[in-house]
Amino acid sequence: MNDFAHLAVTRASLDNCVKCTICETQCPVMAVTSKFPGPKYIGPQAERFRNGESVDHSLDYCSGCGICTLSCPQGVQIAELNAQARAVMKEDHMPLRDQLVSRTTVMGALMTPVAPLANGALRIKPLRKIVQAIVGIHEDAPMPVANGRTFEAWFNKRPKRTTPAPRGALVFFHGCAGEYFEVETSIKSVEVLEHIGYEVLVPKQGCCGLAQQSNGLFDTATKAVLKLCDELTSAGKDLTIISSSGSCTGMLKHEAHEIMGVDDSRLKDVGTRIRDISEFLLELHDQGELPEDFQRIEQVVPYHAPCQLKSQGMGLPVIPLLELIPGLTVVESGANCCGIAGTYGLKKEKYEIAQAVGKPLFDMVKATNEGLAVCDTETCRWQIRKGTGVQVEHPVWLIHKAYGLS
Amino acid sequence: MRRLSADVVVIGGGATGAGVVRDVAMRGYSAILVDRADLAQGTTGRYHGLLHSGGRYVVSDPRSATECAEENAIVTRIHADAVERTGGLFVVTPADDLEFSDRFLRGAIDTKVPVEEISLAEAFKREPRLNPGIQRAFAVQDGSVDGWQMVWGAANSAKNYGAQILTYHEVVKIDTADGAVKAVHCVDRKTGEDVAIEAGFVINAAGAWSGRIAAMADCPDVEVVPGRGIMIAMNHRLVNHVVNRCVYPADGDIIVPVHTVCIIGTTDVKADDPDHLSIPRDEVQKMLDDGDLLVPGFREARAVHAWAGARPLVKDARVSATDTRHMSRGMSVLDHAERDGVKGLLTITGGKLTTYRLMAEHVVDQMCEQLGDPRPCRTADEAVPKSESGANYLVTHRLGEREHDRLDDQVLCECELMTKKMFVEALDEQPRGSFDDLRRQLRLGMGPCQGGFCSMRATGVALETGHIDIDRATELLRLFLKNRWIGLWPILHGEQLRQTALDNWMFHSTLNIDHLPESTQEVAL
Amino acid sequence: MSTPHVVVIGSGLAGLTAAHRLMAGGARVTLVTKGLGGLQLSQGTIDVLGYAPGRVERPLESLASLPAEHPYRTIGAEAVATALGYLTDVVVDDLLAGEAAQNVWLPTAVGAVRPTALAQPSMLGGQCVRGARFVIVGPKQLKDFHPALIAGNLARTDLPDGGRLDARPASFDLPGRDHEVDSSGLTYARALDDPAFRARFAAAVKPLVEPGESVGLPGILGLKDRNAWRALQDLIGHPIFEIPLPPPSVPGMRLNETLTNGLKAARARFILGSKVVGFAADGDVLRSVTLGEAGRQVVIAADAFVLAAGGFESGALDMDSYGVVTDTIFGLPLVGLDAPLIHGDYWGAAQPVFAAGVAVDSSMRVLDGDRVVYANLRAAGGVLAGAQRWQELSGDGIAAASAVIAADSILGGRA
Repeated sequence: MNDFAHLAVTRASLDNCVKCTICETQCPVMAVTSKFPGPKYIGPQAERFRNGESVDHSLDYCSGCGICTLSCPQGVQIAELNAQARAVMKEDHMPLRDQLVSRTTVMGALMTPVAPLANGALRIKPLRKIVQAIVGIHEDAPMPVANGRTFEAWFNKRPKRTTPAPRGALVFFHGCAGEYFEVETSIKSVEVLEHIGYEVLVPKQGCCGLAQQSNGLFDTATKAVLKLCDELTSAGKDLTIISSSGSCTGMLKHEAHEIMGVDDSRLKDVGTRIRDISEFLLELHDQGELPEDFQRIEQVVPYHAPCQLKSQGMGLPVIPLLELIPGLTVVESGANCCGIAGTYGLKKEKYEIAQAVGKPLFDMVKATNEGLAVCDTETCRWQIRKGTGVQVEHPVWLIHKAYGLS
Repeated sequence: MRRLSADVVVIGGGATGAGVVRDVAMRGYSAILVDRADLAQGTTGRYHGLLHSGGRYVVSDPRSATECAEENAIVTRIHADAVERTGGLFVVTPADDLEFSDRFLRGAIDTKVPVEEISLAEAFKREPRLNPGIQRAFAVQDGSVDGWQMVWGAANSAKNYGAQILTYHEVVKIDTADGAVKAVHCVDRKTGEDVAIEAGFVINAAGAWSGRIAAMADCPDVEVVPGRGIMIAMNHRLVNHVVNRCVYPADGDIIVPVHTVCIIGTTDVKADDPDHLSIPRDEVQKMLDDGDLLVPGFREARAVHAWAGARPLVKDARVSATDTRHMSRGMSVLDHAERDGVKGLLTITGGKLTTYRLMAEHVVDQMCEQLGDPRPCRTADEAVPKSESGANYLVTHRLGEREHDRLDDQVLCECELMTKKMFVEALDEQPRGSFDDLRRQLRLGMGPCQGGFCSMRATGVALETGHIDIDRATELLRLFLKNRWIGLWPILHGEQLRQTALDNWMFHSTLNIDHLPESTQEVAL
Repeated sequence: MSTPHVVVIGSGLAGLTAAHRLMAGGARVTLVTKGLGGLQLSQGTIDVLGYAPGRVERPLESLASLPAEHPYRTIGAEAVATALGYLTDVVVDDLLAGEAAQNVWLPTAVGAVRPTALAQPSMLGGQCVRGARFVIVGPKQLKDFHPALIAGNLARTDLPDGGRLDARPASFDLPGRDHEVDSSGLTYARALDDPAFRARFAAAVKPLVEPGESVGLPGILGLKDRNAWRALQDLIGHPIFEIPLPPPSVPGMRLNETLTNGLKAARARFILGSKVVGFAADGDVLRSVTLGEAGRQVVIAADAFVLAAGGFESGALDMDSYGVVTDTIFGLPLVGLDAPLIHGDYWGAAQPVFAAGVAVDSSMRVLDGDRVVYANLRAAGGVLAGAQRWQELSGDGIAAASAVIAADSILGGRA
């Protein structure tokens, strides 16, 4: 299955490791459990002992958050090494659960038409217990709340837009969650982009494969991501692609290439054209091209930068962007990870760890929020909502509001 | 003065001496092995770790090739825990003559060395990093062997048969009387004590140093030419099979995966003194170039350590004395009764690690013949201690073991996954050992950080478990760092220089190790 | 330029200090760093000069006697004093104490006596002076702290004041969490932020202390809670002090987090995880650097630049397999490359290679001979040539002072 994982191109980066322990100090999982030997141990250290067979199953406690790679001053692709080793390990015995939670489109498509029922069902404890027993998703894990309508349905059914689009066309990539669960965020993103003068194109699009990738299913993930690249490109070559799904953006920008070794010109093309929406808006600001007629919002908003956004190596564009809104104060969480790490925190053997990882963040959000917290990725928002009871939305909600669109 | 006696005294604790002492002990003789240093500290521990399939010699030395093929199977069995059955490849690189590969194949058939030509696609599947320009590939049964572990295995087997192993016993004098060897005098280098061993027979297996030993028994002019070869260990296994260049044996033509590293070897230059072997930068450069030819990118990969070994080659008048590769690799036994009129002394030299057991068998056979006491050799029949299960070494072993005991034990050397328990047990067995002695058995400090993080831990544990005092602890730490540097500085560049920067930062700045107090009295290390 | 935009490359002590100083002076700062900086690999104190090569008591007075090519000769004692004063102010939370002019002598984790200028208050109880009485105590589950090694060496050391001190070892059983047998210093530090664990820790230490003794503990006494050590001291009822460990260095992490959080709060743009992969210049003016972000390269234009990426330890300087040394970021001209760069005597002179780096003028502009390479590029910290930072114990003072000069000269104060 995973020729690439066996070849381990990333392996070469282990030569950069000088054992300095910086990754260990930043690892959110290692901080809360001794079950996980840590990024240095399972990464550059263990990799020297690997040869095809898997003998160190504790590496499965890596959540794949990528903070290690981000923090490493030496350029070791620690998280990528670990993801590849996990793929080798999972080849032989993939739990049903890892297959299920990683097929986000299937999950969303099945849930949408009967959203109230699905949501109700997932909220009923006995049913969740059965699910936990069969597939190993923890009964208290935060699960997506399906929306009554899909983003695609909204986009296609809304009245034809008549205002001009002097800035030209952009492609919008909504991601699975943006299509089925976090529909409102997708809508607001499109409305903000249109408000500042862009035409927004939304080609039909499937899953980026991130969830399969993080569960070691590289083959399916590779197929998915390349199909998506074709779909996004079908709306027009050379167009900038905007997404409000921070994690899927990361998959297209670098993870598909760096973790799974997908070396395809289509991916490279899409990867260089895609922008996170906050990154894009801040770029406009830096070039003096962002309309900044923002309405005042007197509010302190806690902000958590998700791992997969941080790992894109672009700093934290949300903070300077939101602080263009008069009256708004952003408080950065300072937490490395919320614990969910994609699908990690859903699994029953990891649920407690994920909750412990998230605890400092939950405490911080509870202490600082004035009714709203913001975070760029979907699963992290679910986790923080579940962990705090606070409304947590994508930062674009505040931009949308400040433009007077809501 | 300590007085001992034995039927047979074996001088030299390398592979040959350990093989001899095991053989004589298994044949029922009382035996004592002495070495001036630790076991396998000389040439045996300073090579590339190749367990020959014989392929390398099918053209240049057919007899050696056949012996290697036979002994490879035996060593793999009796030293199972020291041998990894990696398999090997001979590849014809773009720089090599295809004609030689035909001779190679014919030679393999003639010498009964198992060789199978494989497709290039299959070669790249087995070793994806191989030079994409290779023209031809052959699979052989090369393996890799931990020379230290092999020698300790043989020594422990000998001990089980009643032999005594006396390390750090330097031979200073050999008594002869009435034309025969009578006693071997040593100094215990750890205690300074004189030790006299009454000997019925002496086998000189001192390798590159055997001329000096023979001279002590009034047997002059045993000329052993030390052929210096350098080896470089790379930070991780760039290949998982032994990769040989399919050429007439030359420099830098083998990469061997051993434990967590892979080793390129080797050069061959006549050395004046086996105790002072340099690692010249130009030879390092040559090795890197040669590695790059087999595995492109080798030069940019991380080199962690280098060393030089002295092959003991018996001088042969047929070739120039400066070209040691073309001397006989075969073993030679000098019968000093015939040669020098001194009975009860045989010198065994030459040969190679793969055939160490066979060398021992030959020399002990000859001894038995001289004693008129024929006893059969049994060393091929029985596995050494810890190899009884027949399970060969795998590189994954320590990782798997730590998966089980990680929560119950401290990992002192993280690069090589050596635990506190392993370290303390080795100390219990060798309480006077230096950290280098322990390193050879445990791989302490042999990984990427080269002692950066583990040496202070090892010092602390040795001190706190009561094995050593504070003077000795501090001196052992100093010595260990000094010794690591010998093999580090000649290859420093790239990532290993970066590692050294961090190590120096920790030792010289954070720990301020340069300003630890000096001992007031001499500490015997 | 009213609000200059400055790109600072590197987030060690030099980069963080420069960024702070620039922000405070009204500049807009983008700090780009490949990973976390080196502070948390350090001992968590601020050295100025410890050995030159003899023992240094009063570092500021000794700077002038250093060789001409030493960076301190360009920096000068006044700038060092300014920089250390500035650092003490910027590092809030009462994290640094002492003075640049006078070294104190503190124990290391192998029991050597080490000079430094500013130390964390939690360490100052460990000053190695005649007649001091120490008990060195650590948990058995911490493999980087060996009381017998520390106490044994301290007790046989002739101290700088000519006297000796008393030190004895003791240890106790207390995992950093659960039933761990191999707890890192950081695990303990996090645990010691919690009053409940502190109480258990103190209860284990207290019976081991005899009247009149000060307690030397590993440098793990709390991470976020700056007063954890004081609370612990109260519980133990004897003076205590921290001894810094090899990485992960908790005292270093405290400094790093304080400086980094301060910068973030001041709204410097902090881009972590992306390496500078290129740059553009017009003649002697540097226009922009190019960052290798995920999936693409991003050009960041600025008015001025500070190169504070360190030396060989970070990979900012590199030696290739042919022995060629380069600055991997700007390809700047380097000095100190006269062979041989590395020699075989481990306990001999410091390795020449580690003194290689860039030469600078009095405003930290990089020089090629007498010519300034880029008028708007300054260098600070480990990339400066001429110092053997680790043997001299000079790295922190060079980093902080060169950063302050670089920042001030960009801001127009000195150039």
